[in-house]
Amino acid sequence: MTGTWTLIRLILRRDRVPLLVWIAISAALPAAIASSTTALYPDQAARDSFAAASMSNPAQLATRGPIYDASVGGLTAWTLGSSLALVGGLVSVLMMIRHTRGEEETGRRELLASGVVGRHAPLAAALAVVLTANLLLGLLAVPALVGNGLPAGSSLLFGLSVAAGGWAFTAVAAVTAQLTAGSAAARGIALAAGGLLFALRSLADAGGVAWAAWLTPFGWVRLTMPYAGDRWWVLGLIAVFVAALAAAAFALSTRRDVAGGLVSARPGPATGTLPGAFGLAARLHRGTLAGFAIGFGLMGVLLGVAARGLDTQLDTPQFRELAATVGGADARISEVFFTFVMYVFSQLVAAAALVSALRARGEEAAGRAELLLSTPVGRLRWGLSHLVFAVAGPAVLLTALGAAAGLSYGGDTVRVIVATLAYLPAVWTVVGIATLLFGVLPRQATAVSWTVLGLVLLVDLLAEFKLAGGLVLELSPFVHVPAMLLGGAASPAPPLLGLTAVAAALAGAGMWFLRRRDLAPSA
Amino acid sequence: MNAAVRTDGLVKTFGQARALDGLDLTVKTGEVHGFLGPNGAGKTTTIRILLGQMRADGGRVELLGGDPWQDATELHRRLAYVPGDVTLWPSLTGGEVIDLLGRVRGGLDPRRRAELLERFELDPRKKCRTYSKGNRQKVALVAAFASDVELLVLDEPTSGLDPLMETLFNECVLQEKRDGRTVLLSSHILSEVEALCDRVSIIRAGRTVETGTLADLRHLTRTSVRAELIGPAPGLAALPGVHDLAVDGARLRCQVDGDALTPVLAELARAGVRTLTTQPPTLEELFLRHYEGAAR
Repeated sequence: MTGTWTLIRLILRRDRVPLLVWIAISAALPAAIASSTTALYPDQAARDSFAAASMSNPAQLATRGPIYDASVGGLTAWTLGSSLALVGGLVSVLMMIRHTRGEEETGRRELLASGVVGRHAPLAAALAVVLTANLLLGLLAVPALVGNGLPAGSSLLFGLSVAAGGWAFTAVAAVTAQLTAGSAAARGIALAAGGLLFALRSLADAGGVAWAAWLTPFGWVRLTMPYAGDRWWVLGLIAVFVAALAAAAFALSTRRDVAGGLVSARPGPATGTLPGAFGLAARLHRGTLAGFAIGFGLMGVLLGVAARGLDTQLDTPQFRELAATVGGADARISEVFFTFVMYVFSQLVAAAALVSALRARGEEAAGRAELLLSTPVGRLRWGLSHLVFAVAGPAVLLTALGAAAGLSYGGDTVRVIVATLAYLPAVWTVVGIATLLFGVLPRQATAVSWTVLGLVLLVDLLAEFKLAGGLVLELSPFVHVPAMLLGGAASPAPPLLGLTAVAAALAGAGMWFLRRRDLAPSA
Repeated sequence: MNAAVRTDGLVKTFGQARALDGLDLTVKTGEVHGFLGPNGAGKTTTIRILLGQMRADGGRVELLGGDPWQDATELHRRLAYVPGDVTLWPSLTGGEVIDLLGRVRGGLDPRRRAELLERFELDPRKKCRTYSKGNRQKVALVAAFASDVELLVLDEPTSGLDPLMETLFNECVLQEKRDGRTVLLSSHILSEVEALCDRVSIIRAGRTVETGTLADLRHLTRTSVRAELIGPAPGLAALPGVHDLAVDGARLRCQVDGDALTPVLAELARAGVRTLTTQPPTLEELFLRHYEGAAR
């Protein structure tokens, strides 16, 4: 463990800004949601009717789980329990892989390992930083919650539950970082595991198999039940899970070489048939795209299964009322459910599309673009070879999602596919923003693009709680997508064509700037 | 049209920093040209401008008779480039990368490819993520040497190779020269440049400080003289062009400017010479002088 402290300081020095932003936003959200809940639902009767409506909405059950208590605290814990575990988990996975496998892959770990640094130090340092950050954001949320008049004990339990969500995926990433030699694969495995564990929790709460929530960290962070009985012992379950995975990660790391993986690389072909820039791009994108397509297909199946029978199961007055306000008098409940969930899933598709859109920048930063662009492959051809996949990729993913959902639901599959594909122009707009940034500010493109997507998600969340509205809300491209299963099908063309035009203009400008700027490798 | 590369007062700035500050470089067609300078002198920046990856802020630049920024795609059909720090696609094998680069450059000679792979002892079936720095460099070198181009641009190409492979690299460069190709070889490994290059340009802090054949440059520099004398040579210290004189009994060492050799030898002969060694300056010495100049 020698050198752990030095490495901790190195990580803090490199990531101080993103760490602070992440901690500040996550710690501030609970109190903001608590105070807006108080404002929106001032008395118990209002909260009860809101809770009843939400509990009868399968989309809410799928994304957030059940409401255990209709108090201000209980509603706050319900609103944020799952989302903060999702965000904390995602950031924790990215940080862990970046500071463990990422460092090894680039060879920087080797440089440090030759100094006085113990063999476990890099893993220990990354764990220390990410676990502490999660704990800090959980604890920092507590005083403001108490200031909002919520009970101190329950608030502390809620803060710790939020931290526990991040902790679980920190430990998952610590293990996957040991498995493969490439950091992209390690990151992909950890995120896929997170996606499946989240889907399992959705199925448990929306599909009527409540016990399955006990099988996933996304279930545990809710089952601590803050403000609704305070089951402290569930934290112990998470602690055991984290300790076991961390121990496994240390054990695995002693069984492999630095920069080696447990899954070793096999020899490949001695000659190649890649015809050029587009062939190369196809080769680079296909694995990621196939993985995402399978993932979204599986989510679609879960969605379709959960939606089955909703029309009869949830035929309650409250939900009919909700369906009517959202989709008009004759809206079917399952269609309202699909509409809600697709809104969220389309943003996940946007995240996947962002990975494709930013790959060209990754190639440039790594210096590989320099080699390719020294050949007769021109700037525009190279840029387009990657852009094609950021444009066609989300179409494939949305089709996979819609087809799987429609088929497993057993209704009009084509109509469901059309409804999911309606989100394509909004996803393209996100791709367009990333492409423009890639053309203008290559060095900042990756960080700023992800921040933009994060802000869009934040705007959507705040809008739901009426903390943002009007013009701010209009900034999110997803808000403009017509709900094709409900009333939106009447005149879908203007918003969809408008978004497509915006996306095309952004991407076109990005390519224009790309041809005119200096190449910017990171070294 | 007999210059493959010509830059004239090239300027490139990054914010406040002036990476190139009026760089002049001429590479004649068919020659091996050494491009020498310490780290950070601007070698890679110059090469990136020549490859159309960066645009110069001032000055003129011409590559194979065209504008490297405007005509990049066309010009790149006629050149091959090996970067100083070769990074490759981790999921592709070395063989796949060589064939990809060959194909986009308009095809490569399969016999030459096979011969080079064997001589460089490179296994083309391995994934690029498993290659060491030297092996990644070999992939780029094989792809460059096996393609049919007029100009090779090599940026510190041997920094990851072992001495055996360096010798092999030298043979390959000389072969390229015999085949009538032009080579621009950037380096700070001086023995390499000494062995291969017809002419060299030395740059420092973004400016060209010397250009010429090795003979031209030596003319400007000092010769190292060691002698054992029979009698004393008291006049030596007073002669112009004599530097760092050290006398230890009958033995002496000094550095002599090129145009001051005749009076020095006359003075030594007057004293009577038992042994005499003179050495032309190595490029190391040339280089150190310019490098020290930058530090001063």
